[in-house]
Amino acid sequence: MADTLTRAARSHPAARGRLGASWVQRRDRRGVWFVVPFLLGFLLFMLVPLGYAVYTSLYTYRIIGGTSFTGAANYTQTLQSGEFWSGVIRVIIFAAIQIPVMLAIAFFFATVFDLGVAKFGTTFRTIFFIPFAVPAVVAAVMWSFLLEPQFGPFTRLAGALGFSGTNFFSPSLLLPIIIVIVIWEWTGYNMMILYTALKSVPRDVVEAAILDDTPLWKIIVRIKLPMVRSAIVMLIFLNTIGALQLFTEPQILASFYQGAVSLNYTPSVYIFNTAIAGDQTNLAAAMAVILALVIVAISAVSLVFRLRRGEIR
Amino acid sequence: MSAIGLENLSKVYASGVTAVSGLSLDVDEGEFVALVGPSGCGKTTALRMVAGLETITSGTVRLSGRIVNDVSPRVRDIGMVFQNYALYPHLTVAENIGFALANKGVPRKERNRRVREAAATLGLQDLLGRKPRQLSGGQRQRVAMGRAIVREPAVFLMDEPLSNLDAKLRVQMRAEILRVHQAIGSATLYVTHDQVEAMTMGDRIAVLSGGRLQQYGRPRDLYARPANLFVARFIGSPEMNLYQATLDDSGDLVLGSQRLALGGRPTPLEGRPAPLEGRAGRPVIVGVRPEDLLLGPGETTSSSGSGSASASDSDSASDSLGAGTLTADVRVVEPLGSEVHAIFSIDAPAAVDPDLTASAEETDDLLPGLAYNGVARLDPRTAVRPGERVTFRVDPARLHFFDPTTGLAIGWPGDRAPDQAGARADSA
Amino acid sequence: MTVRTSRRERRRQARLEEQEQSIPVELYGLRRGTVPLLTALAFLFATFTLIPIAWILINSTKTQANIFETFGFWFARPFDFFHTFSLLFQNVDGYGTYIQWFGNTALYAVIGGVGATALSAFAGYGLARFRFRGSRVAFYVIIAGLLVPITALTIPLYLTYAKAHLINSIWGMVLPSMVSPIGVYLMRTYAEISVPRDLIDAARIDGGGELRIFFRVALPLMVPGVVTVLLISVVAVWNNYFLPLLIFNINTKYPLTVGLGLWSGRAVNSGDADLYPMLVMGGLVTIIPLIALFLVLQRYWRGGMLLGSIAN
Repeated sequence: MADTLTRAARSHPAARGRLGASWVQRRDRRGVWFVVPFLLGFLLFMLVPLGYAVYTSLYTYRIIGGTSFTGAANYTQTLQSGEFWSGVIRVIIFAAIQIPVMLAIAFFFATVFDLGVAKFGTTFRTIFFIPFAVPAVVAAVMWSFLLEPQFGPFTRLAGALGFSGTNFFSPSLLLPIIIVIVIWEWTGYNMMILYTALKSVPRDVVEAAILDDTPLWKIIVRIKLPMVRSAIVMLIFLNTIGALQLFTEPQILASFYQGAVSLNYTPSVYIFNTAIAGDQTNLAAAMAVILALVIVAISAVSLVFRLRRGEIR
Repeated sequence: MSAIGLENLSKVYASGVTAVSGLSLDVDEGEFVALVGPSGCGKTTALRMVAGLETITSGTVRLSGRIVNDVSPRVRDIGMVFQNYALYPHLTVAENIGFALANKGVPRKERNRRVREAAATLGLQDLLGRKPRQLSGGQRQRVAMGRAIVREPAVFLMDEPLSNLDAKLRVQMRAEILRVHQAIGSATLYVTHDQVEAMTMGDRIAVLSGGRLQQYGRPRDLYARPANLFVARFIGSPEMNLYQATLDDSGDLVLGSQRLALGGRPTPLEGRPAPLEGRAGRPVIVGVRPEDLLLGPGETTSSSGSGSASASDSDSASDSLGAGTLTADVRVVEPLGSEVHAIFSIDAPAAVDPDLTASAEETDDLLPGLAYNGVARLDPRTAVRPGERVTFRVDPARLHFFDPTTGLAIGWPGDRAPDQAGARADSA
Repeated sequence: MTVRTSRRERRRQARLEEQEQSIPVELYGLRRGTVPLLTALAFLFATFTLIPIAWILINSTKTQANIFETFGFWFARPFDFFHTFSLLFQNVDGYGTYIQWFGNTALYAVIGGVGATALSAFAGYGLARFRFRGSRVAFYVIIAGLLVPITALTIPLYLTYAKAHLINSIWGMVLPSMVSPIGVYLMRTYAEISVPRDLIDAARIDGGGELRIFFRVALPLMVPGVVTVLLISVVAVWNNYFLPLLIFNINTKYPLTVGLGLWSGRAVNSGDADLYPMLVMGGLVTIIPLIALFLVLQRYWRGGMLLGSIAN
């Protein structure tokens, strides 16, 4: 109805103003102003910084000689740096383990609560979601205390179970510990998303499956799971992007256990240390740009994936 | 032994709402029964209780004589078609139809054969590889039916399968469903809110309102002998004209300022409340179907001499009984081509429909001069104009009478008091 | 007695009604013992989730010595809670006052969160209900903005600030937080769904100005979406660590995240016996407001909106 109105208004001769634009078009143009504040912020705080970072990355500051244009030198230096790549590999391993485990747990409980096959579902869901309200810093602090190599409760528990002398922050256990912390932080959030997705599966489809005498496992795996596939895919991408930027948890743990976390532990940590501790802002800029590009590439893949399936209008 | 038997079935929700109350009916083998009523009357809830998707508060459901209250819907041997089809969106048509067979472990060859058979019955052979989102509404509906019939269940349940289709497709699919029903031969319980669907498709119709069964019988019986005001209003379009009237001591009907001699008085059926004789001086609700209001001679001016199509009928009626007349003011004339609807007003109060206070769309606040309280269906050649005062002839034998307090029917047209000569066979 | 029974009854009733909304469990054909097993598993994970929270609650009452030496999950004398709590109001080691950090965080979160919600609501509405040239392009640009990772953006932001002398500026923290592409996406989706075009047109015919229409007609219909975006934005700013870490080097401007991070390092290095308890207490006080906010807003918040940000 609104379209007919619009079309009629546009074509009526009296509707055309002096500049030839119909009142409908003029009205529509006013909509720009609604979007302008955001776009302004977007420009100033996303595009300009990015542009400036690219600009900075093309220069290098030397104590002798000051800042000079070096072109791609910073980029080649980064891409050839073993330290940079070891950080990259580390986050990839991190993501490869953390994400599937977390999603499996999240999907398991989302399904359980959606089906209602456990008691006190609402209470549990609220509890699981609480970590979302906990800043990563606080989470890292809490777990650092719990896992403290000499006095922490879990260390003592390990001792009681016969694993005395466990140092949760030793190189071999550090990454698994970070994985546990991140799982603790994010499972509830992912579970909520999956729960909502599962709830939006039409009830009558499941009823039809029941009438077809479908066993429960099949209902979950062959009917509900495929119907929430888009949510799962998006969670994978979202979590991957977050995982690749891992920063806070290693950084806080480093405060507690110097030496456990290397300066290049993750790309973001490396960038931070390069910029602040090392005062090499140009190099850091180049690294940030590379990291951004990698992540944008992954996001773009997911975006194309979703556009193709017609999920974004 | 009936295929489906409901005994005193009730459903009360935790919130206290009673959806179904004391529903009893049975569906014979191979019978097609329509469960019909307005939204919220409990028909879908009743159907779901038969399916086992809704818990039963009290009463029993029997399938092929066996009480199935506590039997899981998985093993009740029923096929169900949902209102929104409930197809598995990520599976092909073939996989949708064959899903239940796959669950049972039917070997692939056998499964494919049966799927193809079911698809052929419904004209879906060329669509087997498609997914539901690539199908039209009518095609999806047929896939839903295919899924139900492939298991060759003893009973079919259908929950308003046609309500999401456009009008033309609906008419087509009505015939389709009946054809499939006849081919398969299983007992079918069919829920709809559309009384036309119910009337045209059902071997028997059950009318529900407010969770209670209003009447259960063959379509023609419900039309000719509605058991109460609700059924009288619900079945038939345009609605039956209903008015508040009184019977005076001489047995005439007093409608506002008009009087109608009743001639023979309708006799009550067994179990009905007080016969009409005992009601002298008391109020009564009288109903007359739009097609039973005939335009008297002299009013049909469009074609001289030929008279209205109803002339012969009314002549014989008026001859034998002395037809009564009702004067009315025509307000609006609707020429439909095949007939003319004359919307009129007579100076008798219309019987108030208690449900109308709820549904706003039926409340007209027309300007006083345009208020109407009746519709007549007339021959298409009738020349009637808005603002005219006309005199309808009405055969008292075709009047329906209802008790104003209970709403139950008191007597039906065509019933003759035993002392009346020449009892005419019920032509309805 | 009567009051207690009826409240329990009412809750039981509410639970029954909610159960009726979903498919009865019996229809799934489960073996006996499945439900208790699954409940037990949920209980295990709930324990896992609550262990750190319980720990921080209990140990905020302990002295440093006790934190390390006594059993982690039960109290110990002396009950030092109030003493430690009072320390939060003091600048203990010259590196900052907790209460000031708290105030900063609240300030940044509220301004940033409200600002983000406002900007997103305006932009989302504008994109959904106006068809101006470039509105499609703008939307795609915003989607592109979703792609840019926050961490990768922060170093450039820091560099820009350094150049523009915006280091240690409150606005430097707050303004970028107001730019939320995901908020715009959510608001646009929600406006599409819940604000009918016809309603807007009717309001225009009645002679309303566009802004007034937005506030009087559209916004009330978008409330659940607004609440969701508000929640997400406030949480995001409250929990933000990387950005303030870079752009603030005066501790009076630190938000809680950076302050606590600072204390983490200092607690290990300095000999101050109060820092550990303060760290624990500080962590506790940090998470209480947000948890409370969640619990209160549970009713209004639509989980579906979160989903909308992920998938349609």
